[in-house]
Amino acid sequence: MKARNVRLWVFELVMVALGLIWLYPYFWLVFSSFKPQSEIYTRFWPTGFTWENFSWIFETTHRMERDFVRALFNSVLVSVSVTASIIVTSAIVGYAVAKIRFWGGRFLKQFTIFQLLFPGFMFTIPTYVVVRSLGLLDSLWALIVPSLFGAWGVFMFSQSFRGIPSDYLEAARMEGASETTIIFRIMLPLSRSTASIVGLFTFIGIWDNFLWPLIVIKDYEKMPLSVLLASFSHEYGTYLGPLLAGAVIQTLPMVLLFLLFRKYFLQGISMSLK
Amino acid sequence: MANRRKRNVIDRIDFRREIKTVGARTRARGWLMISPYLAHQVIFFGVPLGWLVYLTFAKWNYLTPPRFYGLRNFTNLFSDRMFWLVLANTFNFMAYFVPLSLLLGILFGLALQKMKHFKTFVALSFLLANISSGVAYSIVFSRILSENGPINRGLYAMFGFTIPWFSRPQLAIFSIVMMVTWKFIGYYGLIFLAGLGAIPRSLYEAAELDGATRWKRFTRITLPLLNPSIVMVLVMQITLSFGIFTEPYLITGGGPMKRTYMFMMFIYDNAFRKFTSTGPGYAATISVIAAAISFGCIFLSRRLVEREVDLS
Repeated sequence: MKARNVRLWVFELVMVALGLIWLYPYFWLVFSSFKPQSEIYTRFWPTGFTWENFSWIFETTHRMERDFVRALFNSVLVSVSVTASIIVTSAIVGYAVAKIRFWGGRFLKQFTIFQLLFPGFMFTIPTYVVVRSLGLLDSLWALIVPSLFGAWGVFMFSQSFRGIPSDYLEAARMEGASETTIIFRIMLPLSRSTASIVGLFTFIGIWDNFLWPLIVIKDYEKMPLSVLLASFSHEYGTYLGPLLAGAVIQTLPMVLLFLLFRKYFLQGISMSLK
Repeated sequence: MANRRKRNVIDRIDFRREIKTVGARTRARGWLMISPYLAHQVIFFGVPLGWLVYLTFAKWNYLTPPRFYGLRNFTNLFSDRMFWLVLANTFNFMAYFVPLSLLLGILFGLALQKMKHFKTFVALSFLLANISSGVAYSIVFSRILSENGPINRGLYAMFGFTIPWFSRPQLAIFSIVMMVTWKFIGYYGLIFLAGLGAIPRSLYEAAELDGATRWKRFTRITLPLLNPSIVMVLVMQITLSFGIFTEPYLITGGGPMKRTYMFMMFIYDNAFRKFTSTGPGYAATISVIAAAISFGCIFLSRRLVEREVDLS
């Protein structure tokens, strides 16, 4: 029994060590962003921590046509507006699909599943052609408008709403509640975890998207952080400290959101299994 | 369900007329709710789908009107040596990536299931890898694995040699596979953990009573009952292999000797890059063929792997 216990503890410790190894790129990134440039490759533990990389990237980059502050603003604006829109629109459409009996809803249900079959990369070029003919290239609208609605969000919300008993709705209607009230005061609060899952994955997906903004945005002033960072890495890769500070800023919101909503992240994984 | 049907029958008898008008009003409201979505889907799904089909039969340079090109996009593609190289690269990538991350994913799932004390910490640290930003982690890995990066310095100090991670063809493919594996093991592992959780304990107990060895229990109970999760992860891995872009684009630029040049980069270069662009027609054709091949791979792997599983 004792030998078995020892084995279990060794196993647990090995797994913890593996977890730490898995985090090594993060440690390296964060440490390096606070190191003086000369110590990034030479020391793991620096002689002293410094904010200079961060202040440099905020204060100097706009003079190199790679304005980080602007890019950060663009990324926040785009990700927040898309996420808000996806949650609201998916809730409305999901409600219609799940709770209103008409052939439009049944059609949408089939259509949504049909859509999820296509690999995304097939649509990159034709969507570019559409966005181009709408005259949206090189503007933040090109990043926002194509993602205002989404099949996945509709699918998730309709699944979740289907589980809410229709009696609740009947009762609310008796009290004279409008459909808008029903959706936003009853359905959405009851589906808080679905809303969090859809919001979290949408935000991360948009924030981290690289290929699409790379294609539609050429103007440095309009770039989101992901593309600006890649461009900075390409042109000014020798400014390693500031580059890694930029990578920290790009990573930070995703990590924070993940840690805040980790419960829902796990639910999201197990829900997408169904 | 039966209840609802019964109520509907009663409704129909008692308030037939009223229900009809209310029903019409609800239906109208339903249409109103979904109409913006439908309009958006027409513009950003329907029209692109039409363009996609049209472009595969057209030659276009974005400026002058498109020209009907027959099947020449397809014949050109099949005689394009770069296409075959990209296809070979994709299979080369999958040959490492699929078995490696499948095996490690299953092992990670099993390990998580067994853990008691530090489960949350370990799961979180592997999942943090999964949500890392594509651009940021590409930058980080390209520096960590660079010639004078920390890994090579460590290797040199301990063993007296360094590894040129991104400058030999097979090694470069493998390095990218390692990065992607680092990123996805946590995700795949959790899928397997969910699959493992659905296997009834009693099966293992019965097998143990019958004197089945641990290995037998694994191959006869765990693996067969994990089949749905395995199929799902396989589908994800294949889709990822055909859609990968950020890592090779940022780290190797497709090199060395074009051996990390993948479909998405091929499409991007043909559609958008100055000097290499042959227009969206050819690029759209590549994307359609790539999607067809990835569907083929998914179909084939399902045929080979998928088994009926009844857990009830």
